[in-house]
Amino acid sequence: MSAAARRVLVACVGNPDRGDDGVGAAVAAGLAGRLPPGADLVSCSGDLLALVDGCAGYDALVCVDAAAPAGSPGAVQRLDLASGALPPEAACTSSHGLGLAAAIGLARALQAAPRDIVVFAVEGRRFDGGAALSAAVAAAVAGVTELVAAEAVRLCGGSMEVAADA
Amino acid sequence: MTTKTIRVEYLTRVEGEGALELRIDGGRVASAQLNIFEPPRLFEALLRGRGYAETPDIVSRICGICPIAYQMGAVHAIENAFGVRVEGQLRALRRLIYCGEWIESHALHVVMLHAPDFLGFADAIQMAREHGDMVRNGLALKKAGNELMRLLGGREIHPVNVKVGGFHRLPTRAELAPVAGSLERVREHAVALVRWVAGFTFPDCERDYEFVGLRHAGEYPFNEGRLVSSRGIDIDIADFDSEFEERHVAHSTALHAVVRRRGAYLVGPLARYALNFERLPAAVRALAAEAGLGPVCRNPFRSIVVRALEIVYAVDEALRLIAAYEPPDYAAVAAPPRAGSGFGCTEAPRGICWHRYDLDAEGSIVRARIVPPTSQNQPSIEADLAAVATAVLDQSDETIRDRCERCIRNYDPCISCAAHFLKLSIHRA
Repeated sequence: MSAAARRVLVACVGNPDRGDDGVGAAVAAGLAGRLPPGADLVSCSGDLLALVDGCAGYDALVCVDAAAPAGSPGAVQRLDLASGALPPEAACTSSHGLGLAAAIGLARALQAAPRDIVVFAVEGRRFDGGAALSAAVAAAVAGVTELVAAEAVRLCGGSMEVAADA
Repeated sequence: MTTKTIRVEYLTRVEGEGALELRIDGGRVASAQLNIFEPPRLFEALLRGRGYAETPDIVSRICGICPIAYQMGAVHAIENAFGVRVEGQLRALRRLIYCGEWIESHALHVVMLHAPDFLGFADAIQMAREHGDMVRNGLALKKAGNELMRLLGGREIHPVNVKVGGFHRLPTRAELAPVAGSLERVREHAVALVRWVAGFTFPDCERDYEFVGLRHAGEYPFNEGRLVSSRGIDIDIADFDSEFEERHVAHSTALHAVVRRRGAYLVGPLARYALNFERLPAAVRALAAEAGLGPVCRNPFRSIVVRALEIVYAVDEALRLIAAYEPPDYAAVAAPPRAGSGFGCTEAPRGICWHRYDLDAEGSIVRARIVPPTSQNQPSIEADLAAVATAVLDQSDETIRDRCERCIRNYDPCISCAAHFLKLSIHRA
């Protein structure tokens, strides 16, 4: 397949009104106008059902989402799912909506998922209703935006190198 | 005496947190308790002192899958207190948004949460590898329901467009046209879903339920009707306390509801269907017959078929309402506050959801009471568990556990609404 024909979906996940869960929305704002031709940007909040068939037809999917606190708020992890799944602890705690792991799992089971899937998980600190991003996560937004843009370029067929772990 | 304990630390595909404790003594089930230990969410206390206009947005937060049930219960109760009736197209739009909720909620439960039980899969993702077409159908149905919720409610989760007296904003016919297109496309999926689930193998299980639900003079009920039961209750919704009672029990943070004179009762699809079968359109009744159902179904495991039928009904009803829609001149009728008490009772996907509000002259809430469907069904769930476990008592603990988990999922329980997750303990003496 030629580089120009590759299509990439960048999905920024999270609720902008829930503290650090808003990191996806903040990255989406920074990505506007910075993605290469062939890359589409979508923001997802709440139930990720729409992502299941929304990612069909793309060659690659890049997701940005907040991760549960583990002592290092703002830390960014790049997870390449080309040959794996998100860890079980990334599962959604509600049966009433699909989380990112379930949405990707279901899309794969339905053969609707792109072959290449990369998730950038940004460790959060607080997820209070109505709260802004914590200082640590706010400070990480510019860097994550750069990483996601570079990943989209790479997956669209560009030559920019992306570090294995940020 | 020896006691055997089996635990399921995490019951999957149920919303919320709770536990099941089964005590087996002398070869029989001595007790079956659904222990709901999720901390009370205190919505009723939270509502005290808040203005009536805030209520629909606050109560919609009780549930992400059935927020319309809470919004409709609240607005109807407050309008009842203020002496206001919402009629015509505004009333029709309220039925329409409820159709959206039934479609998305039922499609989620039938395909993603319940069907794996009958086909031997741990979850819908595993099931999707072999039954991809049906999972796609279910997802398409849920998407169509969400579309309807989004247009009428402003967003599909915790909608913001419902208000006392009507809506903040009305949809246009042009905006409804693509939603009708989506519904027309998924109708055949809904019918296929009924035929698919009707072909499942169901455990033999006939329960002697007292069905409780709304009954309206001419409609399959959403927002209005008298409160009736299969054993003769026929009352105005305001008289709920004359026939029903909520009780504290030690093992649940959610109140148990019972018929005062008799005990456990059942709300939800099986009850609605049995009490309103003749209100279903002929096409849905014919589909029910094709699916092997008569006018009454007492096998809780077959509730999946009734839910699927209700999806078809909701799709057809939504299409009918959209076709008949003429935008009214106003989005809401005036609802000047006055002191008083009001009652609302609507048919949430899981059964009747009853509300009472006492308001002061400015329309501030003095007292709120909300009786969600899952808390009403708790005694019935426990009775089912005892019966279902008894039927398989000579089998392995694994079989008992599996059958009990399935028994609970028959109810599509929303434990979070009622007060959240299931841990199963079986004690054998």
